[in-house]
Amino acid sequence: MSTLLLSQSKSLSRPKDAVKVYCQISAMLSVLIVAIILGTLLLQSGPVLSLKDTGLFTTEWNPDTGQYGMVPMVFGSVFVMSIAILIAGPLGLMTAIYISETRSSRLRRFIKSALELLTGIPSIVYGLIGVAYLNVWVADAFDLQSGRIILTAGILLGIMVLPTFLTLAEDAISSVPLKFRENAKSLGLYRHEVFKQVIVPQAKAGIAGAGLLAIGRALGETMAVMLVIGSLDRLPSPLFNPLSSGQTITSKLGREIGESAFGSVHFSALVFMSLILVSITITLTLISQYFLLRKNSRV
Amino acid sequence: MFKAYSLSALTLCLAACSAPEAVNISGSSTVLPAVSLAADSYVAETGTAIIVNAGGSGSGFNQLAEGQTDIGMMSRNITASELERFSELEFTSTAIGRDAVVPSISSEIYEAGVTALTLPQIADIYAGRVGNWSVFGGPDRAIFAIDKEASRGTRQIFMFVVTGDSKAKATGADLVTGSNNEEQTALTQSDSAIGMLSFAWLNEEVRGLSVIMPNGQIIEPSLENVRNGSFPFVRDLTVVTRDDIKPAAQKFVDYLLGPDGQKAVEASGYIRVTE
Repeated sequence: MSTLLLSQSKSLSRPKDAVKVYCQISAMLSVLIVAIILGTLLLQSGPVLSLKDTGLFTTEWNPDTGQYGMVPMVFGSVFVMSIAILIAGPLGLMTAIYISETRSSRLRRFIKSALELLTGIPSIVYGLIGVAYLNVWVADAFDLQSGRIILTAGILLGIMVLPTFLTLAEDAISSVPLKFRENAKSLGLYRHEVFKQVIVPQAKAGIAGAGLLAIGRALGETMAVMLVIGSLDRLPSPLFNPLSSGQTITSKLGREIGESAFGSVHFSALVFMSLILVSITITLTLISQYFLLRKNSRV
Repeated sequence: MFKAYSLSALTLCLAACSAPEAVNISGSSTVLPAVSLAADSYVAETGTAIIVNAGGSGSGFNQLAEGQTDIGMMSRNITASELERFSELEFTSTAIGRDAVVPSISSEIYEAGVTALTLPQIADIYAGRVGNWSVFGGPDRAIFAIDKEASRGTRQIFMFVVTGDSKAKATGADLVTGSNNEEQTALTQSDSAIGMLSFAWLNEEVRGLSVIMPNGQIIEPSLENVRNGSFPFVRDLTVVTRDDIKPAAQKFVDYLLGPDGQKAVEASGYIRVTE
């Protein structure tokens, strides 16, 4: 890298080149940071992976006896994320269609900026609202002893990822060029036909990409989920019962990372869980980029 | 002229920057109210910056041992495995007050007549062997057992007294909370819950259970019983320091043991250790 910098510095007399070097360094830095994070996660996962009888794929988590079963946490993360997507998906899609297809552009801008404001609210604020109101409402609605359950976490997450999904899906729909709509209309198609036959096929990839980004956000959310999920390291019973308490990877990390000593097996087990989480999100991001790229190359 | 001005500005900044740095404290949310109250008056008197954070006894010890803080707050003893991990360091625990962990229940259950339980009965609830308040003469309602994170001092003393094992698993638990604050909220929001709270956190919505001792004596969670040690769940609230403690932090520990610090301990609902 130093030789590269040296050879570049010879031509630094021109400001254009200086900017170029600056950009190159920035780009390399961000790649380096990603590599360091992944490397650290892999390295720190070592201790728990090298030990035998840690029961990684069981449901028993007990650092005192050396049991690090991660199944409840991984299951909880996926379960909560699914609920969030089930809520945010249809709602977001319908709203996106409504805003982009039926509203005036002034109102569209207004609604969109309000939504984008929503994405800027810190997650702890959602969490506090969840503890103070949502969890009580859910408990009342289902006549439960406590509303700190998987469903509450799913609903809260659904609300949190809704703006992200909505605004990106709406972009995908609005970015279908006007000439397609006009051509379709001139062929005598009804409005709903234009939408179904012309807009949807064009915007499909963009909407899918938006969905995957939303899933990524849902998986990574910590504070809000931690406060309302109940933090029980158990699989729900029956398995797909959203009315029981659970634990996600992130809420587990939030609760235990402070008390585990750096370098201990306990710490390593927590890091390995985050590695699982990062792998899931990276896979999702790659898939969503594939969709978005395909969309761009086709339009 | 301008040069002189900017030079003096620089000196000012340097003076400010070299002022004694802040004393960082973190740990048990049980000890926190007393320490932060004392810190308020200490800061007002001396101008030393003090930063107090919660996080639990386990986290308080770890952060101190790893050098992130100057003082750790703990509501339990340092465990052997914790000491072993940092065997190259020397720690000093100083008791600044006394507290009781109280088995606490939702006011609805208390008013319906369940005001005292034996220790084996409480153990049965947490082991999942008993699941309905009617067994103890209460209303026909499922018991909602609230557990705490494993590293919490409150939980360890509670489980030790109830089951004899401070790390006993609570298979009957329906919810796991962290701080006293979080646990208190969960107890308040439920109408049939049992949990464990530090003495200072009881109120109208969350009532403390009396404990029926093996000899039949019923002991209320009163200040009097905590002070004379007859309530079974009594423990010391401590601040832990390392031997390489900085002078500013040591001064604050001394302050905690002095009359003003002890006043703060008492005002937080705990019992003083020095007269």
